[in-house]
Formats: sequence, C-alpha cells, structure tokens
Amino acid sequence: MKTLSLRNLGKTYFDPYAGAHVTAVHDVSLDVEPGEFISVVGPSGCGKTTILNMIAGFIPYSKGDILLDGKPVHGPGPERGVVFQSFALFPWKTVLDNVGFGPKMRGVPKAERDRIAHEYLALAGLSHAAHRYPNELSGGMQQRVGVVRALANNPDVLLMDEPFASVDAQTRMTLQEELTRIWQERKPTVIFITHDVPEAVFLANRVVVLSKGRVLDQVAIDLPRPRVWDDLVRDDQFKQLSARVLQMVRAA
Amino acid sequence: MQVTGSLKGRSSRLIRSVNSLAGAAMFVAPLLALVAVWAAVIPLFNVNPRVFPSVGAVGSAALDSIRDGTLFAHVGASLLRVGLGTLIGIATAVPLGIAMGVSPTVAAFLTPLFRFFSVLAGIAWIPIATLWFGYGFGAIVFVIFNAVFFVVAYNTLLGVRTIPHTLRNAAASLGAGRWALLTEVLLPGALPNIVTGIRTGLGFAWRGLIAAEMIATNVGLGYMLFVARDFYRTEVIVFGMIVIGVLWLLIDRLLLVPLERATIERWGMVRRA
Repeated sequence: MKTLSLRNLGKTYFDPYAGAHVTAVHDVSLDVEPGEFISVVGPSGCGKTTILNMIAGFIPYSKGDILLDGKPVHGPGPERGVVFQSFALFPWKTVLDNVGFGPKMRGVPKAERDRIAHEYLALAGLSHAAHRYPNELSGGMQQRVGVVRALANNPDVLLMDEPFASVDAQTRMTLQEELTRIWQERKPTVIFITHDVPEAVFLANRVVVLSKGRVLDQVAIDLPRPRVWDDLVRDDQFKQLSARVLQMVRAA
Repeated sequence: MQVTGSLKGRSSRLIRSVNSLAGAAMFVAPLLALVAVWAAVIPLFNVNPRVFPSVGAVGSAALDSIRDGTLFAHVGASLLRVGLGTLIGIATAVPLGIAMGVSPTVAAFLTPLFRFFSVLAGIAWIPIATLWFGYGFGAIVFVIFNAVFFVVAYNTLLGVRTIPHTLRNAAASLGAGRWALLTEVLLPGALPNIVTGIRTGLGFAWRGLIAAEMIATNVGLGYMLFVARDFYRTEVIVFGMIVIGVLWLLIDRLLLVPLERATIERWGMVRRA
C-alpha cells in the first residue's frame, strides 16, 4: 500500500466556448494514507471531478505534482483503479470477464483470473450473475460489478467518481453499506467524489470540502464501524457532522 | 418453485418456436402470393413466352440446369467470387476504419477520398478492372472488393467513434495497453457497425457481381442470364433472377442475421427492427 500525495495541483484549460482560459483547480494539496477512505465534496464546478480525472491520468495536469509513493504519475495505470458514474462495463463481456479484465491485462492465466473474479463477485453477492451480460443487470448490480472489477485488480488507490449518483435512493443506501463493509474487509485506499453530504460522511474517515478549485476545509469522521443507515439516521454525532459539512458546502 | 420454473421455461420455449414458425410463414407468404399471381396471369392474358415465361417453363428450366450441373457451376463460381472479394474487403477495411476512428488526422485526410470513391464503388470499376486483370475472376473479385471496402471501412469508423470514451478510460485504468485496447475494446465496440457495414456491403457486392458477370466472364449467374437473353430463353433468365434473390435471402438469414443475434444483440447493443 502506498501514500498518494497531491502537491499544489492545478488545472487550467482553454474553453473554446468561453474563448478564454479557465482554471478548474487552483491549488490543491492533499495526502492520503494507505487504507484511508476520503470523501471529496463540494458544489458543482468546485473541481472535484477534474481532480479525480487528473489522479486517474485521464487528463494531464497544468501545475504541481501527483505522487504515488513519492513517484510522479502520468497517464492511466492499473495501480489507480477507477469506478465510473456511468459504470463503464464492457457490454460484450460477461460479468465474470469484466471482473477478470484487470488480471487478464496483467497476464494472469484464465483459470486463475476466473478464480479471482469469482472471489470478488462473491464479496459483492453477485456469484449468481457471473455468466450474464451487463445489459441484463439492474443499475445497482452493474455498479456492484464496477466496484469489484476495480478491486479485483488490487489497485493502490481506488478512485470513485459519484459512483452511486445514477441509481435509485433505496439501492444507493444498500450500495453504501456494502461499500463500507467491503472497505472494512479489504482496506483499500479510497478517494470518493460526491455532492451528497450524508453519503460523504457515512462512508469516509475524512471529508475534504472543496470550493472554487481549492481545499476549503477537512473534517475527520470518527464514527464507529460497521456503519449501517438504520443506526446512523438516529445518531447525533452523524447528524452534527453532516450538518457541519453541509454548512461548509453551502457557504463554499 | 423448481417445477413451475421448468414448466415456465418449457412453455416459453414452445411459444418462441411457434413464433419463429409463424415468422417464417409470414416471410414466405408474400413470395408465394407473387408466384400465385404469376401462375394466374400468364395463361389469363396468353403472354408470349418470349416476353415472360410460365411458372412451369421456369420449373423445367430449373430441373434441366440442376440435372446437367450447369446451375451448380454458375452458383459456385458466383459464390466463390463474392466470398473472396468480401473477405479481402473486410480484412482491409476494418483496420483502416479503426485507424480512422482512432486518429482524427487520418480521418480528416481520408474522408474526402472516401466521399469521392464511395459513389464510384462497385460497377463503375468494371471497365478498368478488366484492363488490369483481364476478363474473368480477378476483375470480378476486384469489383466485389471495391463495393464492400468503402461501406465496411466507413461503418467501422462510425463504430469506433460511437464507443463511449469512458470505456477506453476504464480499459486503460485496468492496465490495457494499445494492443489490448484494440482487441478488447475498439474491435468488439465497433462490431455492431461493422456487421451493419458487411450486410450493406454484401448487398452492393451481390448486385455488382451480377453486373460484372454479364460483362467480364463466361461462367456465373450474371453470365447465365446474359447468355440466355441471346437465345430468348426468358425461362432461364427468370430462373436465374429467382436464384439470385433466393441466394441473397439465404446469405442474409443464415449467415448475417445469426451473426448479429449471437453477438451484438446478446450484448444489448442493438435491438433488431
């Protein structure tokens, strides 16, 4: 497990519609410890998705550094797994082959990567769906596949870009509970982007509040685990933390 | 639960096979109706066989050509040319289409050429093809190749462009290199359009084949039609036309449609109209 560091990270790009240079991320510094779960919240346009895309290597950064264990990263790579809002499953691959894709890219033989994929599918309660195609699954099930596909590749950091934004509210709560459970079992390092404050607080060890391309504040979340919604909706500490973060986001 | 499940499975399978039988009947019925009208009209208006043959005359022309083996020689020659030309067309068009889909520079440079040549694709090349390859096999295969190539390349380009960019990002962040991106994402992602291109292209090729065979050879279905004309053998001409149409339906139903079913429909990437 490695430490991820953002050092004075910035992104400026030319917006052809505005006809001007726009700065999406001004100056962001952040250290993420191995096994930490960080939620990044902020209003639309605060630069949270831009930051995630830079860490993932999908877009280049304009200034500063992104360091994984002290080494700068450029371009996408398997040590940084990504879970997409749109799921981004391969429609032409079965669920099993989607989850086994990362190991396949590493040259893991077929029998071994099927074993790995089955193990991770079991973790998400999806063993029965192994041989189905993504279009045969509900949105919630597709995103479970998206999460374990990224995990099965054993990344140093798991980057999640509003992964539960496009599923219904009930399913979202179930997925959040499952994610905290899986995180407790496997302890991956997670950076979770969301605009949903209760979701951010529910999942994370630490919530980072962004505003206009800068880090506004950070809030440690020391709620006990395992976390389940039935308990936390009535929990005073959870309510206070959520209210505090929400205030920051609204003022941002 | 188990029992109801399997009963349900069996009855839905039954419904499906009844449906597909009904579908086949619906497909054949209009063709049979056309033959019935034909059979009624010829004696009714006392049509001269030099203008249009009777059903019976066409039937005996069919039997003759089957008995003396000429039908199989013509069909075999035609299918070989179409098959080879199409294969060469696909093998060259798909890589080019993918290169165009991946590189905007390549696409920008080649697009005007594609616009220009796609209107010329196929039979306009027959005269110069016969100069290059002589009368016969090479010239006809070239015309087929030409008809298939532009349609398949253009559809492959469209297919690559319609692949959501997040799928490429997903593959890259799971460790896919350039080659894996090509074989695991771009090719399967473009496949629905490639299959559409092959269907359209084969349709062009089939028409181009008949035209080319009328001019540039001494065997094949097009030649069979053309020679029959010299002897006023309308029953042979009409029989040849029926063979051309039926062969196309068979190629489409037995080859292309199952290919679509087995791949892209299963993946939920297209819904068949």
